[in-house]
Amino acid sequence: MTKKTLLSIMTLLLFISLGACTGNEYERRGDTSNTLYVGAVAATFPTSFMPWLSRDGIAPTVSSMLYNTLFSYDEDTGNYVESIASEWYYVDPDGNPIITDEGAIDYERLEQIYGSSDKKYLPVKIILNDDVYWSDGTKLTVEDVYYTLDIATNNALSNHAGALAWTSDLQHAYSNGIMTKQGIFTYEHGASEKGYTITEAEKDTVMYIHVNKVLGAITSLFTTILILPKHIWDPIVTPENQLNSKNPTAETIHQYQNPVGCGPYVLDAQKTNAQVIVLNRNPLYHLTDTDGGNLYKVDTIKFMLYQEANVAIYSLLKGHIDVLDSTISSNYMSLFLDRDHIYVSNSEGTFTQSLVLNLNPVATERNDMRNLLSNIDVRRAIALAIDQEELVDKVLNGAGMTVSAGLMSESLVDFYNPESDILRTDLAARLIEANAILDALYPHKDSSGYRILGDKRISFSILGNPGEQEVISRLQVHLQKIGIEVTYKAKGSSPERTFLYNSKFDMTLQGVIFSLSNADIMYRAHFVTMGTSSNYGRLNDPLLNQKIEQMRTTLNLQTKYDLISELQPMIAEEYYKIPLYSSNVLTVARTDRFTGFVTVKGQSIFNSESLQNLEMVG
Amino acid sequence: MQKSFIIKRILYAFFIFLIVMTLNFFIPRIGVSDPAERYYPPQGNMTEIEYEIIKQVTREQYGFDVSTVQQFINYVDGLLHGDLGTSFQPGNPKVSHLIAERLPWTLVLSVTNLIISLFIGLIIGTIAAWKRGRWQDTTLLNLSTISTALPAFFIALILSFYLGFEKELFPAYTNPNMVSQFDWSWESIKVVMYNAALPIISMSIGGIIGYGQGTRNAVIAVTNEDFILTARAKGLSRNQVIFKHTLRNAMLPIVTSLGMSISGLIGGAVIIEQIFNWNGMGTLFLNANNTNDYPLMMGVMLFMSAFAIVANLVTELCYSLLDPRVTVGERR
Repeated sequence: MTKKTLLSIMTLLLFISLGACTGNEYERRGDTSNTLYVGAVAATFPTSFMPWLSRDGIAPTVSSMLYNTLFSYDEDTGNYVESIASEWYYVDPDGNPIITDEGAIDYERLEQIYGSSDKKYLPVKIILNDDVYWSDGTKLTVEDVYYTLDIATNNALSNHAGALAWTSDLQHAYSNGIMTKQGIFTYEHGASEKGYTITEAEKDTVMYIHVNKVLGAITSLFTTILILPKHIWDPIVTPENQLNSKNPTAETIHQYQNPVGCGPYVLDAQKTNAQVIVLNRNPLYHLTDTDGGNLYKVDTIKFMLYQEANVAIYSLLKGHIDVLDSTISSNYMSLFLDRDHIYVSNSEGTFTQSLVLNLNPVATERNDMRNLLSNIDVRRAIALAIDQEELVDKVLNGAGMTVSAGLMSESLVDFYNPESDILRTDLAARLIEANAILDALYPHKDSSGYRILGDKRISFSILGNPGEQEVISRLQVHLQKIGIEVTYKAKGSSPERTFLYNSKFDMTLQGVIFSLSNADIMYRAHFVTMGTSSNYGRLNDPLLNQKIEQMRTTLNLQTKYDLISELQPMIAEEYYKIPLYSSNVLTVARTDRFTGFVTVKGQSIFNSESLQNLEMVG
Repeated sequence: MQKSFIIKRILYAFFIFLIVMTLNFFIPRIGVSDPAERYYPPQGNMTEIEYEIIKQVTREQYGFDVSTVQQFINYVDGLLHGDLGTSFQPGNPKVSHLIAERLPWTLVLSVTNLIISLFIGLIIGTIAAWKRGRWQDTTLLNLSTISTALPAFFIALILSFYLGFEKELFPAYTNPNMVSQFDWSWESIKVVMYNAALPIISMSIGGIIGYGQGTRNAVIAVTNEDFILTARAKGLSRNQVIFKHTLRNAMLPIVTSLGMSISGLIGGAVIIEQIFNWNGMGTLFLNANNTNDYPLMMGVMLFMSAFAIVANLVTELCYSLLDPRVTVGERR
């Protein structure tokens, strides 16, 4: 009977399972509509779409499609490209644009007018496009922009940490819900009192803001802050029910889940859940292509959640999705070779991996080994021994490139200074030079060939995460050639707190990105020690600090460019953040339903240029 | 069963819960002096002053701006009012709501897995014991060795790739609309069964072999007892001997094992859920961990611990029902 029972149970289970077989529902296969299926590897999808709430995973990508910023930034040209706003100018105290006859910013005049220390801010005039509408049909005006920037600075109403950082250069402030300084002016908010003329006809489209006297001050205001609809949030946001409330009301939750934006897409809330996000074309979107047609060529975008990267990759290979919006390791490249309808985007990265040396630890964390790193000759020897080419070849499987010691990408031709490229010479000659430097300082070696300091082997640990072990093991081999031992040390879950800010490390790996758009922030963050900052190794070079401050505060763009150029050799010769490589961004798409994917520097294949260029096959 | 025994067990379980609750509150705070730093790690582009402002904002929003003792009091007060806290997720959903959303889907997998594993495991374990030394027994022992070497997530990946992607017999991963479109209709139930097939098979393989092995050992231990020989000598049929005498007396270790399985029911199979995109408690906890959402981590951990404590309590009480000697032993 037991055999019969077992057989019956197995048969029943098989019957139930097969009975439940309703056919595989891989939607994309039978879908002939203009719908792009995009896979994303994440733990879950957001179900709230208030852009200021969502910082992780795919949330910023979705937010950027539902909402718009005032401008977007073109890294190639350094220009702000129109989005909600069409034009902006620095203006003189009478509100007149400070521009040349050709319409460009007149930096010379700007410096003449605002260069003196008694001038405390730069006034900026912003002109919005007159045809921007929210997805519910309401017209977008400067009052929406005022509301957004104002609430970002008002802790009592928004209490949003990121927004405070974005608006830190805007001279508009609140204290406990009371405005202490006004730096945003519209027709309805004190423009005429401040002496700015805005006519009745311009009242929806013209506004002025006051920013700190830093040329980069406008960048985050223009290109990071997604503008929010005042008519949606103003009626429901109060100090008790903040924009990002801990205990949101039902109405607030409804608005989180049914966003009203002005971006190229609108959320299909009915079809969206924690595993799929559906965006449909916003018929009211104001930007068009050169022929007056839709700027974005895809009608519907479906983001599909994959919690496991291997499953996502296989889904793409099997045709369940068109694009995988997650970078893949170069180890997977062989999976995509010689396959039909597969497009691999091998985009040049904007991110430089560097080895940071702790050359100025706090007093309590100093020791004999770390003291060695304060010697620039030792640092130079370490930098000379590192073989970037091998790291690119072996760690990145060729999907990357070597980087100048000035840490600026060569592709940024306006800023890159070749004089800073002092570490990419012949490796054999570099090793001879490095060993000669160290032979003069620490000539004695132990039986394993490592140099001796006192009675101890010269040895450093490199703080890293498990994914960085391969690069650290390569560095072990590189530095062994000059008699220096390095070992891997795990970073743990909160390295800033446990190791980095309190100087409890010898060396660590850190990513660095420099461009004109972030130079004001990043040069200071990486090379000027101001207590807690990401300048982990606490470099403190007064001359470099002075030059960085000069670059940040100059109002002359050409001077700024020149100073960025001058900074690069200075940074290179510190041998403080030693470049290791710049890895490419590898992403994959299928081309059997859509063609026209565009590879964009530093971005995945799912980017706005691809969306503006895609064409359906057949 | 003695009433005092039950009360003693309940008080003991409550005491364990208090310890778990206290540890659950303090452990996430170890190593981070300021919880706001865990919620909002330092960003490279912030000055120290900006970061201080940001941390203050975060502290106020999540109630970290009071002393740790006061936070603990607030936490206990919240628990007494059924409030497990507020998640850091966008929209700040209540932790209890998130658990309520995910729990049924984890139970679909884990309860089905448990029933299948237990039922089939009991049968094959009994057969193996009865056919001790023959091919049925050696097969089970060999499978047991193999299953120990093959973790469930590895089996899941193989099944997902072979039966899901290659053969397309079952979905390689969960239909993203399964949860949102579920409406208790037969069609919906079929969709859930279809999508749950591979995760359940992946989990059950190890479970069946585990229960089979456990049952086999327990049955063999009982089979050698005199009363089984007596039952046989009485001329009882094989099935009567197995079901009325052998299995009944072999139940204690199986119930212990079952109790342990029940206490782990809602923990979910984190990696299995991840591979099959199954939105259950396991992925909720994983997501909380990945995003430093420790109100959610604390909430999920506390809920899982409470469930495990209750399950263990019930198992112990059942145990004493099955074997009165347990109660007597306690009384001594």
